Amino acid sequence: MDSASVTAFFQTLVQGLLTGGLYALIGTGLSLIFGVMKVINFAHGDFLAIGMFITLALFKAFNIDPYLSLLVVAPAGFALGFLIQRFVLARLGDRLGEGSMLATLGLGLIVSNTLLLTFGAQPQSINVPYATTTFQFAGVQISIPLLVAGLGTLVAIVGLNLLLYRTELGRAIRATAQNPLGAELQGVKTTQIQAIVFGLGVAFAAIAGVLLMPLLYTFPTVGENYTTKAFIVTVLGGLGNLPGAVAGGLVLGVIESLGAFYISNNYRDAYGLIAFLLVLLLRPEGLFGKTVKRV
Amino acid sequence: MTTAATLPRPRALTFGNLWLSGALLLVMALYPLVFGKAMNFGVSTLIFAGLAMSWNILGGWAGQTSLGHAALLGIGAYTMTLLATPERLPAFLPAPLAPWWGALIGMVVAVALAAVWGGLTFRLRGSYFTLSTIAVALVLRLVAINSEWTGSSEGLFMPELPTLFGLDLFDRKVEYGLAFAFVLLTLVVTHLIRRSRLGYGLQAVREDEDGARALGIDPTRMKLIAFMISAALTALGGSIYAIYLQAFEPHTLLELPISVQIALMAIIGGRTSIQGPLIGALLLSIFGEVFRTVFSNANLLIYGVLILVVTIYAPNGLMGLFRRGGLKLGVNR
Repeated sequence: MDSASVTAFFQTLVQGLLTGGLYALIGTGLSLIFGVMKVINFAHGDFLAIGMFITLALFKAFNIDPYLSLLVVAPAGFALGFLIQRFVLARLGDRLGEGSMLATLGLGLIVSNTLLLTFGAQPQSINVPYATTTFQFAGVQISIPLLVAGLGTLVAIVGLNLLLYRTELGRAIRATAQNPLGAELQGVKTTQIQAIVFGLGVAFAAIAGVLLMPLLYTFPTVGENYTTKAFIVTVLGGLGNLPGAVAGGLVLGVIESLGAFYISNNYRDAYGLIAFLLVLLLRPEGLFGKTVKRV
Repeated sequence: MTTAATLPRPRALTFGNLWLSGALLLVMALYPLVFGKAMNFGVSTLIFAGLAMSWNILGGWAGQTSLGHAALLGIGAYTMTLLATPERLPAFLPAPLAPWWGALIGMVVAVALAAVWGGLTFRLRGSYFTLSTIAVALVLRLVAINSEWTGSSEGLFMPELPTLFGLDLFDRKVEYGLAFAFVLLTLVVTHLIRRSRLGYGLQAVREDEDGARALGIDPTRMKLIAFMISAALTALGGSIYAIYLQAFEPHTLLELPISVQIALMAIIGGRTSIQGPLIGALLLSIFGEVFRTVFSNANLLIYGVLILVVTIYAPNGLMGLFRRGGLKLGVNR
């Protein structure tokens, strides 16, 4: 291998890892929700789309920098998720699994079609000066917004870990995930905890939407694609496994990036799907999960 | 268990069921006489009604929610169109195939895919199967978009077709007849399944997989048969849909929203009843048509609202509400 192809390889790898960081952020939210409530959130990508569109609207109306709009989007996402779990999904009672899957599918359709009615179908983007800037590091070009996205992901995931393992709330969340009845008996208000967890999951998706906004166009049904990516990430890492979701995200980013560069860019979205199907069939507990007894 | 008490007694409901199916068929048969000017709406509604019925053999009777049926629909549409187009014929075929043979081959391809796909994924339970259907359909969509022989992202045009018993297949009235026959077929198949060993086996698997296994029923085999029947009928519907559309592209035919639409019609109508999917498809199509000017391309909004309401308040769909009412009135007792 000559040095040009080595550089190209590292360029592709870095690109994949940074994109993978965003996938990890999206997947972590989905996996957190699944881990605590056993709900596969089919609206996850649509919550990401909400993050993108709030950012877009704030930029268009007040010229607010996309990264600054995190201050609005993160709490708004949390509140939305909290309310949805508290007042809609909690009503499903013990009909989880299938029922919650259909309910979140419905929520996703409501979100994407409301966005369609509000903002129209045409793709929109925001124009910030740093959108296309890059810097060189050891011969590898790194896009600034992508790097910010990677760092943002890191901060969010470290923050979530501190919350889960260093606070009383985190202890309550972990207790609810392990055994809701047991947690309830110890005085944990599990309905409250579940609402908080759904809020956190939605906030993570919305934050990912903000971080994507300087990089991409947005359109109302953009979420569909990211819901699929979130499924891939969480299945690669094992449903409900948070470190697995981070690893799964990075793996997906790298698979896509390398596949697009070395095989064909047209099938960029297919590599992840195929990996996903293989893992689903051969190792449903995920690449990084503990091997559990099969049903 | 409470489930035993809420399940309808098959014999008591059979007559009511046949009456309801007959009434629905009569309405569909009379439609062209009354709304002869709105044939486009009629044809597409009937095709989707048949697709929802086909979906329900897997989704309702076997209880396996597929969100990938657009792939099977696409196989029907693509197979028939490719085999009927002289310029796109595979080398070993001397002349284009008549659409009915093409449709039949499409059904065979769909059944073969379902056999492999189901054989691999039915070991997984619940949501995992659903996730796999999304992935398989998306992969097929990418293949259709990126392959030269499937017309890539521009899709395919239906060539001139031979006439069927002297009837022009592109005449909307003839297409209405085809779509009607399709719905009739799905209804007949569903009625037959209901009264067969397969139907009871499927319901047993749906209600309690481990219990069914204990009774000597092979759940994987049951689901697989249901999937293959569902796939064959869906592909047939896809072929008729292709004739109706005349031109189609992968972006519209193989999208996730098509799969979602078919599934939600069946679930909102009522997946545990025979005519539920049909009624769901008719109601949702009418809703879509009435509010078309208001929502234009946001017509899936109503699906979202309804599925949310149905999952929370009426898990057995709209037909489930009627059946519960029936129990209260003592019809089944």
